[in-house]
Amino acid sequence: MNQQRGTRHHGVNGRALLLGRLTASDLRHHVAQAVLFVVAIAAATTVLSLAFALNGVNSNPYQQTMAATNGPDIVAQSGNDPYTGVTSSADLAALVALDHAKGVVAHSGPYPIVGDTGLAGVEMHSTYIVTSVEVEGREIGVAAVDQPKVTAGTWLRPGGVVIERSFAETANLHLGQTITLNGHPFRVVGVAVTAAFGGFPGNSLIWTTEATARSLATKVDPLSYISNLKLSDASPRAVNSFVNTYGNGLQQSKGGPVEATPPYLNPWTAIAYGDSGFLRTDQAFLFTGTVLLGLLALASVAVLVGGRLAEGTRRVGLLKAVGGTPGLVAATFLVENLFLALVAAVGGLLAGWRAAPLVSKPEADLVGAPGAPSLTLVMVVVALAVALAVALASTLVPAIRAARMSTVSALADAPRLPRRRESLMRLSRKLPVPALFGLRLVARRPRRAVLSAASIAVAVMGLVAALSIHAAIDKKFAHVASSGGLINPEVPRAEQVLTAITISLVILAALTAIFAAWATVLEARRASAVSLALGATPQQVRSGLAMAQVIPAVPGAILGLPLGIGLFKIAGHHLSGLPPVLWLVAAVLGTVFVVAALTSVPAWIGMRRPVAEMLQTEGA
Amino acid sequence: MNDSPTVLVHAKGLRKDYGSGEGLVRALDAVDLEVSRGEVVAVMGPSGCGKSTLLHLIGGLDRPSAGELSVAGQRVDGLSERALAFFRRNEIGFVFQAFHLMDELTAQENVELPALLAGYSPSEARARATALLEEVDLADRVRHLPSMLSGGQRQRVAIARALVNEPEIVLADEPTGNLDSASAFQVLELLESLRAKGLTLVIVTHDERIATTADRLISMRDGAFVDETHLTGGSSGHLGAFADWERLS
Amino acid sequence: MQQEVVLAMLAKEPSHGYELRARLARALGPVAEGINEAQMYVTLSRLEKGGFVARMDAPTQRSDRKVYCLTPTGHERVTEWMSDVNWPRPDLAEFHMKLIAAEQGGLADPINLIDAQRRDLLRRLREVGRAVMEEEKDSDAALLLEGIVLRLQADLRWLQACEITWTKRRTSK
Repeated sequence: MNQQRGTRHHGVNGRALLLGRLTASDLRHHVAQAVLFVVAIAAATTVLSLAFALNGVNSNPYQQTMAATNGPDIVAQSGNDPYTGVTSSADLAALVALDHAKGVVAHSGPYPIVGDTGLAGVEMHSTYIVTSVEVEGREIGVAAVDQPKVTAGTWLRPGGVVIERSFAETANLHLGQTITLNGHPFRVVGVAVTAAFGGFPGNSLIWTTEATARSLATKVDPLSYISNLKLSDASPRAVNSFVNTYGNGLQQSKGGPVEATPPYLNPWTAIAYGDSGFLRTDQAFLFTGTVLLGLLALASVAVLVGGRLAEGTRRVGLLKAVGGTPGLVAATFLVENLFLALVAAVGGLLAGWRAAPLVSKPEADLVGAPGAPSLTLVMVVVALAVALAVALASTLVPAIRAARMSTVSALADAPRLPRRRESLMRLSRKLPVPALFGLRLVARRPRRAVLSAASIAVAVMGLVAALSIHAAIDKKFAHVASSGGLINPEVPRAEQVLTAITISLVILAALTAIFAAWATVLEARRASAVSLALGATPQQVRSGLAMAQVIPAVPGAILGLPLGIGLFKIAGHHLSGLPPVLWLVAAVLGTVFVVAALTSVPAWIGMRRPVAEMLQTEGA
Repeated sequence: MNDSPTVLVHAKGLRKDYGSGEGLVRALDAVDLEVSRGEVVAVMGPSGCGKSTLLHLIGGLDRPSAGELSVAGQRVDGLSERALAFFRRNEIGFVFQAFHLMDELTAQENVELPALLAGYSPSEARARATALLEEVDLADRVRHLPSMLSGGQRQRVAIARALVNEPEIVLADEPTGNLDSASAFQVLELLESLRAKGLTLVIVTHDERIATTADRLISMRDGAFVDETHLTGGSSGHLGAFADWERLS
Repeated sequence: MQQEVVLAMLAKEPSHGYELRARLARALGPVAEGINEAQMYVTLSRLEKGGFVARMDAPTQRSDRKVYCLTPTGHERVTEWMSDVNWPRPDLAEFHMKLIAAEQGGLADPINLIDAQRRDLLRRLREVGRAVMEEEKDSDAALLLEGIVLRLQADLRWLQACEITWTKRRTSK
């Protein structure tokens, strides 16, 4: 009795050891394929992790800026007449009354501000540009709340102005330069950052003395006032409740006159959110990229596994012949691929996490290094889930099929009898020889052709969407630049993220195409040799092998075009228009040509041996 | 304009080496051979003696390492791969031991393939294929896939395929090697009928029965010819000798 | 062989000599070429002397009109022969000795002898092979010829083995 139990126990360990050995030896023999498998899945998980990792990145600089400037928890702006934009004394009184509202522990202001009410704005001329700006008047001394931190030069002096840093960098304004505001000249004496306003392009902010600010007000552009408040409880909940209580028309503060338009309250949470807009754009691109890469990875991995199954039938037969159960056979497939998926997930997580700082360069409008990107549990779980799902989806069916195979047929390594499609056969006869070969090769492995087409479609989809976004941005900012406007510096960076994703898609699709071509060349060795023996030229056979990849690539590329345009419309909703038709046609045609070029490499390699040799190594 | 040459194969000093240095294998060692139009030559020998190599060289499937080779009036040993392909297409019909039919093509699609390669229109190619399949007595199986044909039938399809472009010479490498004796007999009969029509044939075989249908039987060993037997000659009335009538019980 | 054959054929019915020969020819096909009537009658008279057959006719008839029939002894012999499983022995020993004697006595080069015999067998094989194709498939004659082909093939293979062994002996000397 004990002995029986003992052997069964050994059985479990023995099987685990066997699985481990089989997996290890198989991986050793098929290194390139294992690498491609891991790369495909890792691409998707890297981009996914990157998207997640950016979550924690911005909060740090914002917090540091808050600390460095003693930034406000609430920025209150005086209400004004909705038609004239004029701030009445009653409006101003309502603003001042907030200083004593419940929960406020410190305040600064009210400061005069011009150009902030959404109308014309103050006109600024510099050496390079003409643009409209907001001007906030400040005391020369230190404010109690929100004292902008000077990063270059000094704080305000009579006749001098201080420029907000992100605007200064975008508008190319330096210390010592002279600018004019509404015609009046001033010297740039300093550059500073603040947590009270978002940076360019939301605001183009310049600080001057209070007197200057007042003097810049016009009928068209009346004066308004800003107060900076600090609360005892600055948690988001408390801040929101303060805004709900006192702001935006809900309740008058104690002692305020009744006819005033209530002040507009902007909590720090909203400002911080606005500051991280660029990150959200990047994240949007990255999540979309993840989906595309995930789909592409699925197609690539399915092609890989499909190619491997053809080689692996004999191994299956051996396992079964020595007593392996169908379960064991299925396990050998699954364990290997799940292991690789795990490696890919871990690799992708690490890569994405480490790459996050590169994507999140510190912004000009905030000081402080970006925070460490977050490596959360959610991120890990999602990345693992994606990787395992892709691996499982592509491996499950072949694994079950292998498990069900009869031992005899597996040992005989009877190659899967190529499917025959009457219509394709009849069509192929009428085509020139390379197309004849190509179409027949496609007909042999229709599943692989569909997967290849799908991977090309996804790649072209990403390419077209990216080109459309690039073109739309170029057009938009060509227009802006030509009229003397300024370009959002975050845009080129978002474009870089987009380019990186597009390049990843293209590379992965290329690798898949090469692998599919290589698998086809190997499987078609005998047919190629026989065709050569019958008098086909090597060139014809090579072209045929390339055509076998081009034929699925064409509908894939064509399908990718409207899909990509659709993606662009969805993803880039604030952009309009399309790239020139020429670009789109070039993208589709270019893809097909690239596929043809790439796949001619395995074709050329596979055809180098003399015919006699090729024939002799193949069976009947 | 050359009229059709009477010597279809002219090989002089033909040599084929594989590998180099320590691993050099001399598959063929300075072989001379001439085959005339309408002749049937059989080549026999133990495995590894180079008979298949010789056939591959004549058929343009491989290049000699040294020596001269002319087939159907054309110098073959110096041709480019592309030119060799044209040569194979038009002048040679090859029959393999393993048949090498395409599994997913029907009999007639298999047979018409060289014709399509040679540029015949699909209808012309199909017509030729049908005619040849009739000739090899498979007219009722033109739409069968190879998996539905017996070994002998498959080889007959392969022979029809070899003939579709009206080659000058048919090369057969162990055509009955994978067949049982009944199927081998069918193939034998077919080859006999072809030879009666004047086809030039070089057959590599280890089946003495096939070999003795030839006009000339060459034995090879270690890459060289060791014997040549002429088999033509009138019936010598030997057959009666097989009934041993003289012996007393 | 041939005596038992003739006896067995007579078991069907009493027959003339020429009838017997015709039946043989039908069954043997081209192999029957070597048999002429005279030989048939020689065999028949030997059998008569042995008491296996008896003549059934008026004694004045010419030879070709004689009808032979089996005696009871003849019937017994036929029954014995039917259940006899002796298989005729191929006579390789003779050729084998020929080669050894040639070598030992310096009479001839064994390899030349082998080559010559091989050529002869090849020619025979060619003829028999041809003959098979001329007969109707699955006929008696075709079946017999098939057997001869197979025997010749076997002999040829043995000759090839002889050639290899004798050549090895030569080169190792």
